[in-house]
Amino acid sequence: MNEHQPSIPAQLAAHRTADLMRQVILAAAPAALISTWYFGYGVVLNLLVAICFAYALEASALYVRRRPIQHHLADSSVLVTAMLFALSVPPGIPWWMIALGTGFAVLLAKQVFGGLGQNPFNPAMAGYLFLLLAFPLEMTAWHVSEAVIDPDSGHSVLGLASFCGQLELLFPGLIFSSFDIDGLVMATPLIESKLASKSALMSAWSEGRSLLARGSETGWEWINVAYLLGGLYLIIKRIITWHIPMSILTTVLGWSLFFYSPEQSAIVGTPYLHLFGSATMIGAFFIATDPVSAPTSNPARVVYGIIIGSCIYGVRVWGSYLDAIAIAVIFGNFLAPLLDHMLRPRIFGQISHSRAAPAPLGQASTENTAHE
Amino acid sequence: MLSQAVRWLTEGRLASFSGGIRPPKQTQRTLRSRVMATPIPERLIMPLTIYRKQERLTPAVRIGEAVRKYQCLATHLQDPDLILHAPTSGMITAITRDVLEIQSDGLDQALILCGNTTEKITQADILQSIGRAGIVGQGGAGYPTVKKIRLAASAGVKVLIVNAAECEPFVCCDEALIREFADQVVKGAEYLMQASAADAGVIAIESDKHEAIAAIQEPLKASSLTLRLLAAKYPAGDERILIKSLTGQEIPDSANPAERGILVQNAGTAKAVFDAVKLGQPSISRIVTVAGAPLKTPKNFSALLGTPVSDLLSWCGFEHEGHSEEPSAHLQHTDHLKIIVGGPLTGRRADMFCESVQQTTTCVIATDKINFPASGPEHACIRCGFCAEACPVRLLPQQLLLHSRNFDEHNLNSHGLHSCIECGACAYVCPSKIPLVQHFRQSKEILRDSAAERSESQLRQARYRHWQTRQGRTARRQVKQAAEPERETPFSRENARSEIAEAVARVKEKKSGKRQ
Repeated sequence: MNEHQPSIPAQLAAHRTADLMRQVILAAAPAALISTWYFGYGVVLNLLVAICFAYALEASALYVRRRPIQHHLADSSVLVTAMLFALSVPPGIPWWMIALGTGFAVLLAKQVFGGLGQNPFNPAMAGYLFLLLAFPLEMTAWHVSEAVIDPDSGHSVLGLASFCGQLELLFPGLIFSSFDIDGLVMATPLIESKLASKSALMSAWSEGRSLLARGSETGWEWINVAYLLGGLYLIIKRIITWHIPMSILTTVLGWSLFFYSPEQSAIVGTPYLHLFGSATMIGAFFIATDPVSAPTSNPARVVYGIIIGSCIYGVRVWGSYLDAIAIAVIFGNFLAPLLDHMLRPRIFGQISHSRAAPAPLGQASTENTAHE
Repeated sequence: MLSQAVRWLTEGRLASFSGGIRPPKQTQRTLRSRVMATPIPERLIMPLTIYRKQERLTPAVRIGEAVRKYQCLATHLQDPDLILHAPTSGMITAITRDVLEIQSDGLDQALILCGNTTEKITQADILQSIGRAGIVGQGGAGYPTVKKIRLAASAGVKVLIVNAAECEPFVCCDEALIREFADQVVKGAEYLMQASAADAGVIAIESDKHEAIAAIQEPLKASSLTLRLLAAKYPAGDERILIKSLTGQEIPDSANPAERGILVQNAGTAKAVFDAVKLGQPSISRIVTVAGAPLKTPKNFSALLGTPVSDLLSWCGFEHEGHSEEPSAHLQHTDHLKIIVGGPLTGRRADMFCESVQQTTTCVIATDKINFPASGPEHACIRCGFCAEACPVRLLPQQLLLHSRNFDEHNLNSHGLHSCIECGACAYVCPSKIPLVQHFRQSKEILRDSAAERSESQLRQARYRHWQTRQGRTARRQVKQAAEPERETPFSRENARSEIAEAVARVKEKKSGKRQ
């Protein structure tokens, strides 16, 4: 008879970490496409630059740390980080800013702490916040083609001219002489609160205009709807749980309802605008749900969502920053370990998790084995 | 029959628990054939260690001795309830420290059994029969049944739960057992109730075992037991989880279910109890599921204890290297260690030529690459929390993993590592393929060691303190003696002689007293 081998679960579920990451990317892809449709090639170019830099930097960091490069790159987590980062930064910022942000995200926020699973802060948001602090002006202005602002100008958002324009913005040294940079600067609709009173989609619908007509009003709403649907897909696929997004959205909605008054909507915004006018959906479903930096038990997740939601609303309305997802998420990250420590589920058979003194293991387990 | 089962399904609220996983059951192919008695194997390997190798039996036979079926092979020196019987007739060919090997003669010559045919069977009769038959729990650890019953009876047991909830994929021996021997299981359960003096009896079956549920309806009518259906989740069949599902009571790992008035027995044990009480038959066989994709005809066997696993597999059309005449493509890479004994989640990989059927063997699985892929290199934990969702005892495996890696004793204790039932649900769902159970088992080991070390060092410290006080006392006495001159009379020959004479006189007096 051979040595008594310990039992091990030999059968394992089929899904893998890389699959989860791919599902997240798949869920965010429609929103990225819609962003491109409304805001032009800048979004795609940002994505490409960010992904290239992220992979290169991650690989070099792994090389320096003497880790198996292929094995670690295969988990696709760096792709998710790069994608979320690129979707957060405005189109039209120069390439080196993207490189800087990705570098901060991948190297300082992730690899320095020991790679995937070890980072206390969401890497994409850390990179974004770094850029926001370093280049506040560039990070809050959306360079988009003229066609977005004025659909009747005759320029096409997805035309060659627009592409070259975005390319020139991305690589400031390059000059495609014949084209003027038709990029204009616009801000997120939360600041253009003249749009705040009513859903742009709804009004476009009622006025019989095309819902896909490019205009900043409908664009943001479509993007948020896409993120919402993508997030619901992730929930249905059981890749994320409903706790964090739901508590964020409920909190934001709750605060905006509480402080809402029609005459002041230019300052505090409408509840609808808070949910669909800015980056709330990507924040709630894709960024705050990053499992590594979020708490892991369900009660802690709910509290985490409430904190982030309150923070989003607070910064937006009373703070000096335009949007608050990154700040709120990083703030939540700070509290996640504490929440994990405080809000643990009650262990089977114990009265209360922390009060009950842990049974001395030696005795407990011998009894345990004796009566199974 | 089926409609009856469907009604049961829809009417009765399923008993369930939080967490758990639902791996695909994969029992259909196996259940297609009925339970089959195995041919007598050429060679039987009887392990001499039982109850997780904690108890060792002493052989009662010698090498070369001919034995008959049901003959006692080995006993425990201190504990008469631990006993091993010969499953068939033959000759003892080898005895090692751990195993006893029988070369069967194929004649199956049996000793004559003396069953209990009387109408009135008393509690003592049942206990005696169970003890003599050497029955151990067929579900998991293999704790001697008679001991468990005595323990429960002395604690005042109220409910007997017959556990027919085998929740692991592939395993269907209990389902087959109830499907075909429902009468005997129910009778056995009644004996168990009587033996433990339980007030109520419950048979717990998972709700997706339609045939077993249908089969047990009839025998249940005449008995005092009731049927409860469980949600078909893993690990519904774990003792504590089962109790939680059925009664809502959560029994902590430091307590014994019997203390709370609950006795859990496996359905297979109930059948063995019936055989022991009614027929006087010792426990020499059990139902074993032999399953897996590489088998041509997976089925449930009523296998003699000691049957080598390799025989079971070959009776199911398993072709392994060296034995196969025409190696087919998908069997070429099958090596002899790709066999799992026990369920796919709590079983262990075993060598099929060394391993044999024991009373606790529920299942033998031949693995294939689709259901049992190589786990591959493990990835980093991304704290996705799937494990915490799956954990039936509501632990946070992702946190425990962190603390396990850091050997953080305090946090391991406060996160309840000792409550871990090692069901493997966390490792099953982990997308990063981290062998969580191994980590936890190792940490438990370390905690146990350090607890033992701590208590030992406390003992040593206490001893040292005692020694110090003793030293102090001696020192003080010496100081005192030095201060006061000795009052005792100095030694002299006369004194010594008189003392000796006194002693001799005393002894003489004593002796003379005794004689009278």
